Amino acid sequence: MPNIATNPLPGYQLALQQLTDSALPTGAFAHSLGFETYIDRGLVRDEESFGVWLGAFISQPLTYSDGLAIRFLYEGWAVGHLDALLSAQLLPRQVREASIKMGTRLIEIGSEVFPSAELELYRELVASGRAAGHQPLAFAVVARSLGVPLAEALAAYLFAAVTSLTQNAVRAIPLGQNAGQRLLRDASDGVAAAVVQIGHLAPDDFGAVSPGLEISQMRHERQRARMFMS
Amino acid sequence: MTTAAVAEGPAVIVSPMGQLDLFITERGGRSVASRQFHQGALRILRPHYLDESGQVCYVVVNPGGAYLGADLFVLDVEVGDGADLLLTTQSATKVYRTPGSFAEQRMTLRLGEGARLELLPDQLIAYREASYRQNTSITVRPSSSLVMAEVVTPGWSPDGASFRYEELRLRNEIRVEGGRCPEPTLLALDNLLIRPPLNDVTGMGFMEGFSHLGSLLVVDARVDQALADELHALTAGHDAYTGISLTRTVSGTTGLVLRSLSNSTGELHRILGACTALLRERWHGQEPLDLRKY
Repeated sequence: MPNIATNPLPGYQLALQQLTDSALPTGAFAHSLGFETYIDRGLVRDEESFGVWLGAFISQPLTYSDGLAIRFLYEGWAVGHLDALLSAQLLPRQVREASIKMGTRLIEIGSEVFPSAELELYRELVASGRAAGHQPLAFAVVARSLGVPLAEALAAYLFAAVTSLTQNAVRAIPLGQNAGQRLLRDASDGVAAAVVQIGHLAPDDFGAVSPGLEISQMRHERQRARMFMS
Repeated sequence: MTTAAVAEGPAVIVSPMGQLDLFITERGGRSVASRQFHQGALRILRPHYLDESGQVCYVVVNPGGAYLGADLFVLDVEVGDGADLLLTTQSATKVYRTPGSFAEQRMTLRLGEGARLELLPDQLIAYREASYRQNTSITVRPSSSLVMAEVVTPGWSPDGASFRYEELRLRNEIRVEGGRCPEPTLLALDNLLIRPPLNDVTGMGFMEGFSHLGSLLVVDARVDQALADELHALTAGHDAYTGISLTRTVSGTTGLVLRSLSNSTGELHRILGACTALLRERWHGQEPLDLRKY
């Protein structure tokens, strides 16, 4: 049996769990980030088809946009510069607004619960209109200030995003709760591969996507009946 | 054929296979080239005036007809205050095999106050084992007007299968300079990456079962949601999967992005042509463009 006394929890462990818990009130329940368009077209309709969409979402925007932004922040890029890059790169309006909505909530919550000088700087940039306040950056600033290593921060962020999206799919398609858990287990391989991939990307790769996901995110603006804001 | 890339020590020094510089200025109601320079495998035809608007039309020619491995093409175009340029190509840009390397086009575009650029090249065709990178860096003023449209198609390989190219990267950076932002501020970063060998490009979340891509970028202070809705309605009757959205707003100017997937170059040309025709008529009182007439 492991000796608990000689294997103490890392100081950030419980904070990271709180930060990535799906109960964290950032409003993630209100966003499909484009999968509702595929439901409307009948292309996402069951466990298997949602799994295909989720795989594409992990290997594209979560890797090339969110994940790479987190890595660059850890490598010392200025938060204001990265914030401007995300505002310019998130071309579908609803996805850009979703990132800002959830990001500003995370900055508010973080400022009360996990305050730091770095987060205060980002909060001030947002308050003065010099930054928008994007979700991956708000998370990265807090995680870095807590001492979470990059690989763990990336895995936690990506898996939290995947969990929210899967919970939303369970309600929207709908799927059974056990199907949701099977999807999460399957998605963990994709998340692990994405963490490795993010480490290999270059600055020019930032925001690189295939057209399909973006078109669907754009078309959501004009979808008539919808449960989600994005 | 391919002699452009020369490795010397740790740094790779690449002399362009083709280079084109063009500076357009407004003179007495007509736009003219006040400076032009070309060398290697890029040239331009003599200017045309397609209507009475004063807009000058230049046609870029690649006499070699193709981009090959390690080829670098550099274009630098400035449209001065109040000047109006339509820039197009004589024929499709064809990217052939680029084993172990890639062909690259670097384009720098700068628009002055009240300047207008319509950038409407023929389609890009990427053949078997082709890798291609296109980096376009654009700086506009809040009063500039930019319209650029592009179609990307997979060339056929001998076995009849499409999507045999290795990689396509098309990266557009658009910055706004002047107005409330003295420093150039990033308006849009449009970064497309298609890698058939690594991804299921035909699948959901990638190319959605389509083979051809069309894109339109518009940056103009008159861009708004009503225009996006109107263009979306224009695209509705076509056999393509199309999305339109607005970028952030910087110094009062906004970008509009249209992406469209289809299985036909003709269908994408009709969609992009309908959109550019609406903008030409609405903003400039010009007829729809028909370059083949001239």
